[in-house]
Amino acid sequence: MNKDELMLQLKEQIIKQLKLEGKTPADIGDHDPLFVEGLGLDSIDALELIVLLQQEYNIKLNNAEQGQEVFRSVSTMAEFILEKQTQYV
Amino acid sequence: MYILSTSAVSPQASFEQMLKQPAIYEGEMLKCIEPDYTEYIDPKLIRRMSRIIKMGMAAAVETLQQSGIEQPDAIITGTAYGCLADTDAFLTRLVEFNEELLSPTAFIQSTHNTVGAQIALQLGCHKYNNTYVHRGSSFEAALLDAASLMQEGEANTVLVGAVDEIIEKSHAIIRRFGQYKENGNSSNLFNSGTPGTMAGEGAAFFLLSNQKNENAIAELIGAQTYYKTDRPASDIINHFLLENNVLVDELDLIIMGNNGDVKTDAHYNEPAQTMFKGARLAGYKNYCGEYPTSSAFALWMAVKMVEHGKRLNTETSPKKILIYNNYKLQYPSLYLLSAC
Repeated sequence: MNKDELMLQLKEQIIKQLKLEGKTPADIGDHDPLFVEGLGLDSIDALELIVLLQQEYNIKLNNAEQGQEVFRSVSTMAEFILEKQTQYV
Repeated sequence: MYILSTSAVSPQASFEQMLKQPAIYEGEMLKCIEPDYTEYIDPKLIRRMSRIIKMGMAAAVETLQQSGIEQPDAIITGTAYGCLADTDAFLTRLVEFNEELLSPTAFIQSTHNTVGAQIALQLGCHKYNNTYVHRGSSFEAALLDAASLMQEGEANTVLVGAVDEIIEKSHAIIRRFGQYKENGNSSNLFNSGTPGTMAGEGAAFFLLSNQKNENAIAELIGAQTYYKTDRPASDIINHFLLENNVLVDELDLIIMGNNGDVKTDAHYNEPAQTMFKGARLAGYKNYCGEYPTSSAFALWMAVKMVEHGKRLNTETSPKKILIYNNYKLQYPSLYLLSAC
């Protein structure tokens, strides 16, 4: 799966996991901030995203600081997942 | 204690619609007719809320809107089963994912006090907030706390209410005990002549005040609850009326909690055929079904009848109403209210 395909899949998963009713993948820009501005997510959503990463991609975040960087946008999430998957290969 | 306003989310669309043409249900249950929640709830909060939270929020917000009071001095909620849908979601994940990967939202929202907490969050109300989980007397406990707060001068206005929901799993478990009719019909509930009742659910809230003002609809003269008493219904009711210095003849309407189960309706038939012979009697579980906090629906119905009567201003409008419910014949509760 390339980065574009992964970002589309992530957007669909985020909408489902966070129950963002009325939103479609097209409403979420690849580089839009996920928290505060942009999607306006909060700390509970951050926990849901950690669960999503673990459940769908078998990736565990090592520390909270790492989360701030990884969850900045869908693009940074996709890069992190691809990087981790490459490491496993 | 005065009731300034009330609102409910119930299997009936509204009180006016219920008078005109009540919603009729067939089968085992009566499910709530839900309003457009976006009228009552902050869109940022709504996405995480399960049905019961939204039901409670809508009833609470509408109650406050009607009363014109934005911030009550306390928020008190009663619920027997709490937020079942989120509890189900959380426990299911716990099993399916081997106690890992648990959703924080389902966990946070599964606690019984979520409805009261969400109301406070939306109002920005940092005052007294409590939830009572006392099975069939959960609403009664909440009301008692509200009365105590006002008597002790801790609060002048209290938002008090009750919420309970049916979910597929809880209903499947309870129906195994044979509590529900297989082919129920709510329009014929009281004359079915068969064992079992129909399940129900709902949210009802009330804005109480220790001061009578021009908005007051009714005065709650008395409220009483018991636990597992063997006393016959007429004995319990007589004692309550005596304590409140009210004669049966003074009552314009008696609302009873019979639920169409031939095994338990005899308990209500006894006072109906003796002390209330010739009196104006009404049931309410044909409108909302049977559930542990259904007495809140009965109180909502009584207050709405008084309000409606005041509007019509006719001789026959009920002014003094007694409510008697005895959930599972273990939790007798009584309410006496009078039009303001």
